[in-house]
Amino acid sequence: MNINRFKFWAVAALFAFSSPTFAEEARSAEEGKKLYEANNCGSCHALDKKLVGPALRGVHERRSEEWLVSWVRNNKKFRESGDPDANKLYQEYGGAAMNIFENLTPAQVLNIVEYIKTAPAPAAAGPKVAVDATADADKSDPSTKYILLILVAVFSIVLVVLARVKTTLRKIAAEKSPEDYPTVDANRKFYQRFLPKSLANMNPVVLSIFITLAIGLPAAWYGYKFSITEVGVQKGYAPKQPIAFSHKLHAGELNIDCKYCHSTVEESKSASIPALNTCMNCHKGVQLTDKYNGEISPEIKKIYAALDYDPEALPGKEFGSNPKPIRWVRIHNLPDHAYFNHSQHVVVGKLQCGSCHGPIEKMEVVQQWSTLQMGWCIDCHRNTGIDVANNNYYAALHTKAKKDVKDNENHSKYFGPDGNVKITPAMNGGIECAKCHY
Amino acid sequence: MSNNIKYWKGEEELNRDPQFLANQKHEFSEALPLEEVLSEDGFEMDSNRRDFLKYFGFSVTAVALAACYKTKVRHAVPYLVKPEDVTPGVANYFRSTCGGCSMGCGIEVKVREGRPIKVDGSSDSTISKGGLCATGQASILSLYDSERLANPLIKGAETTEWSKLDVEVKDSLAKLNASNKKVVLLSNTINSPSTLKTIELLKTTYPNIQHVSYDAASYSAMLSANMADFGKRALPRYQFAKAKAIVSFGADFLGTWLSPVEFSADYSINRRPTAEGGMSVHIQFESNLSLTGTNADHRFPMMASKELAYVSTLYNNIAKSLGIAQIPVPSNSELAGNAIEKSAKALLNNKGASLVISSSNDVEVQKIINAINFILGSYNSTIDLTNHSNQFMGDDLAVNTVFEELTKGTVAGVIFYGTNPVFNHNSLWAAAISKAEFSASFSSTKDETATVCKYVCPDNHYLESWSDAEPVKGVYHFTQPTISNVFNTRQAQESLLNWSNNLPSSDGDTLKTKGILSQKPTASPYYLFLKNNWATIDFNKALEMGVYTQASTEATAAIVSLAYSGNVSSLATSISKVAASKSSLDMVLYQSVGMKDGSNGNNPWLFELPDPVSKVCWDNYVALPKALAHKLGIEKDGTVNIEINGVKMENVPAFVQPGQANDSISLAVGFGHTHAGKVGGSIEKGFKPVGVNAYKFMNASRSNVVSNVNITKGSENYVLAQTQTHHSIEGRDIVRESTFNEWKKNPKAGNDKGAVHVYTIWEKQDYRKDGSPNHLWAMAIDLNACTGCGACVVSCSIENNVPVVGRDEIRLRREMHWIRIDRYYNFTNTMKDNFEGAEFITREKQIAKVDAQDKGEFAHWENVQVIHQPMMCQHCASAPCETVCPVLATSHSSEGLNQMTYNRCIGTKYCGNNCPYKVRRFNWFRYNDNDAFDFHFNNPLGKMVINPDVTVRTRGVMEKCSFCVQKIQEAKLKVKREGKSMDQVEVKTACQKTCPSNAIVFGDLHNENSEINKLYKNERAFSVLDEINVQSSVKYMTKIRNTHNI
Repeated sequence: MNINRFKFWAVAALFAFSSPTFAEEARSAEEGKKLYEANNCGSCHALDKKLVGPALRGVHERRSEEWLVSWVRNNKKFRESGDPDANKLYQEYGGAAMNIFENLTPAQVLNIVEYIKTAPAPAAAGPKVAVDATADADKSDPSTKYILLILVAVFSIVLVVLARVKTTLRKIAAEKSPEDYPTVDANRKFYQRFLPKSLANMNPVVLSIFITLAIGLPAAWYGYKFSITEVGVQKGYAPKQPIAFSHKLHAGELNIDCKYCHSTVEESKSASIPALNTCMNCHKGVQLTDKYNGEISPEIKKIYAALDYDPEALPGKEFGSNPKPIRWVRIHNLPDHAYFNHSQHVVVGKLQCGSCHGPIEKMEVVQQWSTLQMGWCIDCHRNTGIDVANNNYYAALHTKAKKDVKDNENHSKYFGPDGNVKITPAMNGGIECAKCHY
Repeated sequence: MSNNIKYWKGEEELNRDPQFLANQKHEFSEALPLEEVLSEDGFEMDSNRRDFLKYFGFSVTAVALAACYKTKVRHAVPYLVKPEDVTPGVANYFRSTCGGCSMGCGIEVKVREGRPIKVDGSSDSTISKGGLCATGQASILSLYDSERLANPLIKGAETTEWSKLDVEVKDSLAKLNASNKKVVLLSNTINSPSTLKTIELLKTTYPNIQHVSYDAASYSAMLSANMADFGKRALPRYQFAKAKAIVSFGADFLGTWLSPVEFSADYSINRRPTAEGGMSVHIQFESNLSLTGTNADHRFPMMASKELAYVSTLYNNIAKSLGIAQIPVPSNSELAGNAIEKSAKALLNNKGASLVISSSNDVEVQKIINAINFILGSYNSTIDLTNHSNQFMGDDLAVNTVFEELTKGTVAGVIFYGTNPVFNHNSLWAAAISKAEFSASFSSTKDETATVCKYVCPDNHYLESWSDAEPVKGVYHFTQPTISNVFNTRQAQESLLNWSNNLPSSDGDTLKTKGILSQKPTASPYYLFLKNNWATIDFNKALEMGVYTQASTEATAAIVSLAYSGNVSSLATSISKVAASKSSLDMVLYQSVGMKDGSNGNNPWLFELPDPVSKVCWDNYVALPKALAHKLGIEKDGTVNIEINGVKMENVPAFVQPGQANDSISLAVGFGHTHAGKVGGSIEKGFKPVGVNAYKFMNASRSNVVSNVNITKGSENYVLAQTQTHHSIEGRDIVRESTFNEWKKNPKAGNDKGAVHVYTIWEKQDYRKDGSPNHLWAMAIDLNACTGCGACVVSCSIENNVPVVGRDEIRLRREMHWIRIDRYYNFTNTMKDNFEGAEFITREKQIAKVDAQDKGEFAHWENVQVIHQPMMCQHCASAPCETVCPVLATSHSSEGLNQMTYNRCIGTKYCGNNCPYKVRRFNWFRYNDNDAFDFHFNNPLGKMVINPDVTVRTRGVMEKCSFCVQKIQEAKLKVKREGKSMDQVEVKTACQKTCPSNAIVFGDLHNENSEINKLYKNERAFSVLDEINVQSSVKYMTKIRNTHNI
C-alpha cells in the first residue's frame, strides 16, 4: 500500500516537472503549447537539443517574427522566394525539408513562439523520479514462502533437540538423586507420558489412526490446494525487464492503441513484442531530454544502443552495424502442449485485451493477470457467447439454434438470458481436447 | 460376394512361423525389461517393508521438492527491424525447385520465422503437378544436417576464407591452361540454362576445360538410341495420361525411373475405372518386384539379361499383325508363355494410345523399343520428343574416357560438380584423382570423392540457392533461397563465375530493404547473373509462380520432320546371340524408392522409410527368389556371399522376396556410403556403412543387369529391420479387389458383402447428425490410384514431428510412423488363368500350393499379386481405444476426430492393445533429446525443422494420426477471421498434399458438394473391418484390376 502511494506521488511529480503549468504569461503561451503538441512539433524538434530539426529555444532571438511565420507556414515557398537564411538552414540540415503548416494562422505561429520563449529551462538538478520498477516484483517472489517453511523446520528440529537434552539431563539427575525425581509408572509406554489421560488410555491402533488423520488430512488438503493453485501458476509474475518500459504511460496516459505495437495480434497466434523500429517511430524524436537535464532518457538510450543508432549523426546515417537485440523476459508462458491463438480470440471472439491481461494501462510493470490455468480457459469457453450472427462461418449453426430456440424456448440449450440465441464455444466443441492440444 | 483371395503380408505369415505367431499375440514386442534391470549389479530385491517405506517416503519427498522447482525464466527476442512480410507465427510460402534429385519438380516451401520447415509440390509445376515424392519431402532435412561442411577445405584442412581458396584454384587453373593440360568438369545432368552459361564462361577463360556429365542412374542408351533413330540426343517426355496400354520392361516409372512424380500423376488418371473412359491396362515384365510391378495388371517375371529377346519378340508380334517386316530371328515361343503375344494384342487394341518403355541401358534394346513405339504410332501421342525431357543427359562413354585419361595422366585436373564417382562409378577413381595435379569438388559434405580432392568448395543446399532449371524443353523452373546460408558455403555457380573472373559487380544494385539498418544485405552475385539472364521476362512474377513456360519454338511441322530412321533388322545377330545364350543367374541393380541413386546418403528419414515392396528399412539386401533361397538353404535372417567377375561381397543380408524372378537376384544401389556421416555411415567418424555399395558390381557399360552371378550361403546371420510383419491380419477381410469386367457388370463388385450384422454396446451415437454442429471430417483413399510409393509416410513425419527411431527399435517393432502402407501379397493364378478367366485362387487351390511347397517346389513364388493400402488412425466414431483409456486421454471430438491428448496420457498402452487397426504408436524414449537416437533430431540445428504448431511428444505417451488437426484448425480460423463459410477454404492433410497420384481425399462430410461426399457414395467405397462396427471415418475404394481386356 505504501509503495502504491509512493508510486502515485512519484508519477505525479514526474508530470508536474514535465508540464509548464506555472507559465506566467498565460494566454498565448498556453495556446502555443497546445498547438505545439497538436501539430507534433516535438517529433522533429526539442527545445534544447538538435533532433531532425534545430533546437528551438531562443529562436525568437535568432529570427524575426515575420521570418518565423513565413518559414513555419510554408518553408518551401519561402525558400523558393530566395531568402538566403532559409536556404542556408535547409542546406545545413541535409536537405530534409520541414513539413508545411499552412493550417496555422500567423497568430497561432506566434503563440507557439511565445510558448517556446516562456517554456521553463530544464531543472539543473531535478529530483530523481525514476520509479523502482522491481519493487512489486520482489514482493510476490514465492521464495519467501519456502524460506518460511525452512525456518519452521529448523525451529522444530531445535525444539526436538532441546526436549531430548532436557530428558537426558533429567535422567542423569534422576540417577544421581532418585528421591528428588520419582520415576514415572514404568508400565506406561513412552508416548502415553505426553498425552492427557483420556487419550493415553485409548487403544493404540485407534489412537495412531486418529493422530494420522488429524495431521494428515489438513496436510493433504493444503497440499492439494497448493498444488492446484500454486504449482506452476505464475499469476502476478512481474519480472524486471531490460528496458523499464511503462505500459501505464504508453497505453494508459498516452492512450496508444495496443495494436499499434502488438500489431500481429489480429493475424497471428502471437501478439508479438514489437520490433524496435516500431519504438523508433516515436522515439527518434521523443527523447525526454527536458526531464534528464538535456540528456536523452537512459531507457530510450537502451533502444538506441540496441539498434546502434547515433542520434547526433546526419539523417540517413544514424544506424551503425553493431546492433544487439533486446532479450525481454517472457511473462505469459503457456506450456508447449497448449496451442493458443491471439487472432482467434481478438478477431473472432472479439475479446478485449484486458479480458485476459487485466488493466495493463495501469501497470507500471506488467504482470501476469490471469492464472492461465486450463480451468480458467474452460470457464470462459463455457460462459462467453460467440457472435454467431455476424460471421458467415456460423451461419448454419445460427439458423439451427434460432429454430431450436423458437421451437423449445427456454428448454433449448441455445436459450440465452435475454431470450436470444446464445452459443458458447463449449457448445460448439470449444472444450474438446484437440482444439488446443495437438 | 467378396473374393476368396488369401492375402498375406510376408513369408512368416504365410508359413505360420512359430516366432511370428508368438509375437502377433502381443501388441508390443516385449514386456518391460524389469527383470533385466533389477538383476543388474547393485540392485537387490530382498528388500523388506522398512526399505519399502524408506524408498516410498524418499520418493514422495523428492517429487514434492521437485514440484517446488522455480520456473525458469524464458526470454523473447523480437526483431530489431521487422521485415514487412514476416509475421511471427504465420507461415510464408515460396515457390522453388526441388533439389532432392535432378528431376526438377516444382515445389512450395513453407517458411516459418525465416526457416523452411516443409516442402510440398507446386500445383503450377507441370513436373510435380502438386505432388512430391518421399525423396523430395525428406530433402529438407539435409539443409539442417550438422555434418555438412561448414567451411571450404584446402588439402583437407578447413579454412574460413574463400578468397584464399579462390587464389589457389585460379592459380592452378591458369597454370594448367598455360601448359595446355586438359581439365575436366565432371557434373551430373545440368539442365539449368544459367548454370550452363557459367560453365561456358569458365571454358572461355580456360579453354583447356572440358565439361562432361554423367548420371549414377544412367539413361545413356536411350539417349544414344534416340540419336541414332531420330537424330536427337534427348529423352522424350512420356505422356502417361494419354496411354491406354502400357508395357514396361523393368522400368520402375512410378518409383524411380525418369520422372516418377509426374508419371504417377498421369498414370493414375487412367487407372480409375470409369464407365465412359474405361481403364488403362498395364503389363510389366521384370526380374525384381518393383513398385511399378506391384501396380501392374499383369506382371511377368523376365530374365533381365535376355531382355533383347523379349522386346524383339514383342516387335515381331506387332510387326506381324501390322504387316511390317519382322526381324529375321527364330521365334522364341518359350519366353514368358503367351504373355508377349497377348501384350502385343493389348498394345494393338490401343494403337496410338499405347506406350512401351524399358529401363535397359542397352542401346539395342532401346532401338527396338523405339521401333515398337514408332510402328504403334506412339510418337506425338504418348511420347513427345519435340518438347523433350532434359532430366537426364549423362554420357557413359564420355565419363569412361575421362576415367581412362585421368588414370593415364592426360587429364591433369578435374572438378566434380554434383557427382561422386568414387562412390557410384568406380572406386578406382580415388587413386586416379589423387594423382591429378588439380582436383576440386563442390560437394556439400566430405563424401567419398571430396575426401580425395585437393579443394572442396561446399555448395549451398538448394533451399539456400538461386537457380533455374529446364527439366522439360520450354518449361523453366526457378529456385530461390528461403533461408540465408546456414554454413560458410558458397553456391557452385558463384565459385565458377569467380574462377572465370566473371563475377557481376554488385555495386549500386543492393537488394532494396525496407528496414532502417545500414546493414543492407547485398545481392548474391549469382542472383544478379541469373536476373540478367532473365532480363526479357518478368523475373519477379516467374519467381512468384516458380515456373515460366515458353511457347514451343519449334513449329508443328517439326514434329512431322522428326523422322524415324531406325533399322532394327540389323540387330538380328545380337538378338539371336542373346536368345541362344546359356541361362545363368542375373543380378538386377535397382534404385530403391526412397534412397534413389544414393545422393541423399545421410538422410535418416529416407533410411527409415520402409521399402514400398519388402517393407525393409535402413539396409539394402539381396532379394532372392524363394526357389533359390530354398536351394541354397537360406532361411530367415540369413546372408549370402556374392561373386561377380571377380568382385566379391561376403555376408550380405539376404531376403526372400516373393515376386523375384526365379533366375535372378537383386540388390539396391545407393547404400553403403563410407563417407556420408553418422546416419549413412562414415569410416572416418567410426560409423558403420549402412548396407553395401552395389555400384561395385556395375561394369563399364553401366548396365543395371549383371550376369554370371556366383552365390553361396553366407556364414553370418543378419536381422533386417522390417515393418511388414509386425501385425497379423488374422485372415480378416481388410482389402477388397475385383476386376474391371466384373466392375462394369456390377459397380459393387468385390465390395458387395451385404449388410453385416453389427452389435453395439453403445448408446446410439450419431456424429453424422446432431453431435457434430459444424464439420465431420473424413478421408477416402482410392486403392486404384495409390501406388504405394511412401511419399505420404515421409510427409506425415515432417508435418507432425514424428521422430526417427533407428534400426534397432524397428527390429523391436517400435517404429513411430503415423501412417504406414500395408502391402498384401497373394498368389496369382498361373499365367494361363490370368489371361483366360476371372478365376482367382480358391482356398482348395491354395492348400494344394502349400502342399507343393512342402515338396520343395517354389517356382510359383515368382508370381504374386500385390495390393497397397495406406493405413492410419481411422478416427472411428465408436472408437475402441477411447473406451479403454483410464484417464480419458483419447476422446472423440464433435467434428469426428479421435483426439489424442499427450499431456493427459499416462502410457498404459491399453488403447494400442485395443485398436483393431494397429495404428497407435507408443513413444518409448525422448527421441528429441536422446543421443542414442542420433538422427539430427537431437541437435539444435536438426531441431530447426520441427513444426512449431505440433507438440514434440515426450516419452511415455501414445501418439497417432490426428488427421492433421493443426491444419484443420488453421483453415477454420482463417475463414472465421474473414467471416467466410468453410467451403471457401481447402484443408489438405500432409499425406494428401504430397500424394503424387492424388489417391487421398480429405474433407467435410457436412459439405454436400465436397469431393469426399461423392466418394463416400461411390459403390467402391468400403470401410476396413466394418463388421466390428467401429464406424471408421476412412473409406477405401475397392481395387479394380484390368486383367481381362487384352
